[in-house]
Amino acid sequence: MKFFNSEGPLSRQTVVMSALELYSPTDLNDALRFIEHKDGKVAVIASGTDLIPRMRKRQISPSVLLDISAFTEDLRYIRQAGGTLRLGALTTVTDLLESPTFDGELSAIREAATLFGAPQVRNVATVGGNVCSAASSEDLIPVFMALDASLKLVSAKGERTVPLRDFIVGKRETILKTSEILAEVSFRLPEGHSWTAYEKLGRRNMLIIAMVNEALCLTLEDDLRTIRSARIALNRVSGKIPSLAVRTSEFLKGKGVSDETVAQAQKVLASELSLTSDFRGSGAYRAEVAQVYLKRLIERCSRQIGGPS
Amino acid sequence: MSKRAITLTVNGTDHPVQVGVTERLIDVLRDHLDQKSAKEGCSTGDCGICAVIVDGKLVNSCLMLAAQCDGRRVTTLEGLLEDPIMKRMQGSFIANNAAQCGFCTPAMLMASWDLVRHSAQPTDEEIKVAISGILCRCTGYYQIIDSVREGCKRGGR
Amino acid sequence: MSEQVSQLLNSLRAKAERGELLYIGENVVRVDSLEKVLGSPVYTADLLPKGTVYAKLFHSSVPHGVVKRMELGAARSHPGVLGVLTSTDIPGLNESSAVLLDRQLFADPVVRSTGDILGAVVAETSPAAADATARIKVEYEKLPTIFDPLEALEPDAVKIHQKGNVARQMKIRKGNVEEGFAKSDVIIEKTYRTQFQDAVPLEPEVGLAIPEDGGVRVIGSMQSPHNTQAAVAKVLKLSPEKVRVIQAVTGGAFGPKSDETPYDVCSTAALAAVKFRRPVYCAMDREDSMVMHTKRHPFVISHKTGVRRDGTLLADESKIIGDTGAYASLGVFVIARATFHTVGAYEVPNVKADSYLVYTNNTYTGSLRGFGGPQAIFAFESQMEELARKLQMDPLEFRLRNMLVPGKKSATSAVMDASCGLPQCVEKVVGSSRYREKAARYRNQTGTVRRGLGIALLMHGNSLGPEGNDYGAVHIEVHSDGSVSVGSGLTEYGTGAISGVMQVASSVLGVPLTRFKLERPDTSKHRESGPTVASRVVVIGGNASKLAAEKLKGKIVPLAAEMLRIDAKDVAIADGIAFDRTHTSRKVEWDEVVAEAFRRGISLKEEGFFIAPPAPWDQEVGQGTPYVQYTWGALVVEVEVDSETGFYKVLGAHAAYDVGKAVNPGGVLGQIYGGTVQGLGYAMMEELLHKDGFVVNPNLGDYYIPTSMDIPAEFKAFIVEVPGPLGPFGAKIIAEPPIVLPGPAVRNAVLNATGVSVDDLPVTSEKVLMGMRQETAAHPH
Repeated sequence: MKFFNSEGPLSRQTVVMSALELYSPTDLNDALRFIEHKDGKVAVIASGTDLIPRMRKRQISPSVLLDISAFTEDLRYIRQAGGTLRLGALTTVTDLLESPTFDGELSAIREAATLFGAPQVRNVATVGGNVCSAASSEDLIPVFMALDASLKLVSAKGERTVPLRDFIVGKRETILKTSEILAEVSFRLPEGHSWTAYEKLGRRNMLIIAMVNEALCLTLEDDLRTIRSARIALNRVSGKIPSLAVRTSEFLKGKGVSDETVAQAQKVLASELSLTSDFRGSGAYRAEVAQVYLKRLIERCSRQIGGPS
Repeated sequence: MSKRAITLTVNGTDHPVQVGVTERLIDVLRDHLDQKSAKEGCSTGDCGICAVIVDGKLVNSCLMLAAQCDGRRVTTLEGLLEDPIMKRMQGSFIANNAAQCGFCTPAMLMASWDLVRHSAQPTDEEIKVAISGILCRCTGYYQIIDSVREGCKRGGR
Repeated sequence: MSEQVSQLLNSLRAKAERGELLYIGENVVRVDSLEKVLGSPVYTADLLPKGTVYAKLFHSSVPHGVVKRMELGAARSHPGVLGVLTSTDIPGLNESSAVLLDRQLFADPVVRSTGDILGAVVAETSPAAADATARIKVEYEKLPTIFDPLEALEPDAVKIHQKGNVARQMKIRKGNVEEGFAKSDVIIEKTYRTQFQDAVPLEPEVGLAIPEDGGVRVIGSMQSPHNTQAAVAKVLKLSPEKVRVIQAVTGGAFGPKSDETPYDVCSTAALAAVKFRRPVYCAMDREDSMVMHTKRHPFVISHKTGVRRDGTLLADESKIIGDTGAYASLGVFVIARATFHTVGAYEVPNVKADSYLVYTNNTYTGSLRGFGGPQAIFAFESQMEELARKLQMDPLEFRLRNMLVPGKKSATSAVMDASCGLPQCVEKVVGSSRYREKAARYRNQTGTVRRGLGIALLMHGNSLGPEGNDYGAVHIEVHSDGSVSVGSGLTEYGTGAISGVMQVASSVLGVPLTRFKLERPDTSKHRESGPTVASRVVVIGGNASKLAAEKLKGKIVPLAAEMLRIDAKDVAIADGIAFDRTHTSRKVEWDEVVAEAFRRGISLKEEGFFIAPPAPWDQEVGQGTPYVQYTWGALVVEVEVDSETGFYKVLGAHAAYDVGKAVNPGGVLGQIYGGTVQGLGYAMMEELLHKDGFVVNPNLGDYYIPTSMDIPAEFKAFIVEVPGPLGPFGAKIIAEPPIVLPGPAVRNAVLNATGVSVDDLPVTSEKVLMGMRQETAAHPH
């Protein structure tokens, strides 16, 4: 004997409305106090592009929603100062596309934003939302990881800064406390001879949940040949968690850019990847493509910097 | 479900409405304000046929809570029927057979209008990107792209 | 009047004087375009009256079982709920079945798929209804399941229906395949597979029912108002006159809206309307639709094909298995079309085919544009490519040698007549795509980017053929103000076909389409004309329209002759003006003639009824003429493959279709573009997946249809016109054919680019890359 509603791999697409409360705070501090007051039992909504479909599919059933979409003054900005770039959590993907900051060595952000969703989604989807979703298919997460981004998390009790590389611990699992809101993503501008690039693979060209998202931040020494640092990040390295390909990144440090290096790095990446299969594609295939992208990302970045291609 | 009083400006007119806190913008437009041009095709933000313009940006109205639109300006196709750019676009859609079943047509028109008011003579690539978030199953997109290209030309039919 | 317009009118009048066709072959503005660009509220969801309540269907959560108990209490007492409908609430027959009577409206007690509907919650608001369904608990006794049609064919397989798992079986026996194989120099045996495709009409299935006059009025999104009327009447135990069904403007259909789903939503809405005495809106959202409506049949098709060294096809033996899921729906005819098209557009002297329509516990399959054609042609066109490669013959030359031309015989031994325009179609696409030049160039490629061309040829039997009597009625009424309204049980849902039907009338009467109005199909006004399927509207409806218009003309012309004081034979009508052929300055306006008719009490209402000639064939051997005419076509696609990732794009598509006579060329092109893109989706990216009987991806974020970024950069479409015997002015159907060829054309293009044979659709980048890896491993350089 089995009961309805617990059988299949998907929940039904219905909205659980009855118990819902929505709070629209006047400013960030008001929001943080509200969270404190509710003991952290709130779901934060900004654009709704991730939350609303999940609610309709009953994958989550929050009883209280906290709307932070109005805090554009506090949280929507792109600021560059003292070698650090700061993105307010409510910066939209369209904001990224419209900013001249992301031509040049920060191109990966423009590339990721261009391939992100569709125009209507880009207009409202936020940097903070993308990072907190952590569902192993986000466009911006691998790019921010390659840039070694830090996250400013705020709560009524204060704030803390954590590196993005430590932030995501599982599929849709982050270390964000229930009392906290992500306020800012920041990273140091890559120094010296650097470039960033992004690649994405899906079943079609647009509006996809990607099989592979991969980003590289490459820095060469003054000889424009030796790798000072190469941070590779993927939407999935092991299981369904976005992270840095640490061993591959380590391997590349100090090596000269060459076909030989790339071939060896691909092998390291292959051994580092432990990918699962799902209906979009097999783990083996994703690993193949990830290796090809590694080569292409190194080639592109190196060429832009003026190194070997 | 708790309710909230909001005011949104739709096509230039202020509308105070009582909305359920998890009603979406599309529900307010269709059910409270009788504006039927935005349609619901997928409920997950993947098809774009609910697209309208909020504070100058094209958005999926099925993904925006009505309560989040308090104080915002919304433009739908109903509000653009006298707009000269839109009228030219509509004429071009008719002349180029861009509307087959018509279900995606309002959203396609909104996306096209939004493109053309920013970029008077877009390339075909730009047109494709502008409508890339709106699915059409009938036309294969070609006659829509023709329509937008033709609809940009001043003095065209 | 401007220069341009007066020139146009003069040329129209000149044509009319010469007795030539007016308005046919011209791009006219479709009668229903304006309301669409205005965003007018004409779809079912836009028409809900005040006080409408909402019905939400709930469905099985096991793929095969017996319902033991349903706990509805919590749902019933959910705030806003009026009640929960189940099988016990059905006064009439618990049936919702298109052909074989194998399916209930509300499954009771056996459920055979997770798409089986158990009942509906009716509530004041849509969210309340949805939330209440989540509170329903059902207990089942689970039964063993089958998800593979090959397994279902095994002798000891679990029986999904009492009569067994084979819903229909068919055969073709032409010539002697054993002799043919004996004479063959090359024989290839291969199996091909296709996937479940979802039609994804942008408007999901919906219906609105309003109680009235001891009966009910139903407005909905559907392809067949009369079939829906019959279904609802049966469920409600009402005589059909008490059930009035009106087709609202419909946001796309592609097949599923001619199967059971409109019966499901409309019967449910009607049941609730009668029970609660309120208007009831029963809507499927996208997930509901993708779980509960019919999909395209996945097929497993094995071919053994023999060919002589010079490239002449000698024999083909095929085993064709279609998975119809839990219920047969229109599968009984899908299997027929697939069988008749088993060797595609080619002459094969010896053909043996055995086909099986098989039940499984997957969600059910039925009508979808192409209707067995895409699957059959994918298999045989792929086989043709394999044969060409084995023979080391150019794939185009191999096809030219064997393709059907006037005088050759199809798989059913029907002799092709002069209306076969296949050679012209091939010539057009070969030229446009620069096939020969590029195929030669692409034979030797180095580098990681590989290009390839693929070609496929189409034969598509027109209209219902062997599915049943193929008839239709159109009625035309001229009103006192001179406007002309056209009504029919045949439906418009985006194809433009009804506009084409009106164009035919416009042409016969000599009155511009701008004076015409379309009546919404309404069972209380229009005669039953069969379902709007098989692309039959332009042929059946067009002919009926022509007949009605000719009858009307027979009344108008004598009257005009009288008014002009000339002989009837000298009257011509063009552009709404009746004039003397011999003295064009003598004229009288259409409106004046109409006014005179009204004054004299002459009725200007006529109905035209057309029935296609029978299409006789012998079931035992699958021989005869199952179709009265054919649409022909050819497609070349060029792909570019990134051989490191397997990702590929279609650079160009070159398509030509012989449509007999293009009534509205812009409309025909629209069908070619749209159908080809839908076919490219089927070829490249669409796959509705089941896991243990559950649909894995019933939403548009996980099921991919082409976006504007996925279409070929170059698309050249050609209309070929070789008049056929059946349609008005020689017209042939066009709505379905363009979806058929992209599957094999893409598959063959990828093969030519990479050496990889992908034998199961869709051709994904993973299959391409993994195939290339295997190729390299098998043939290291």
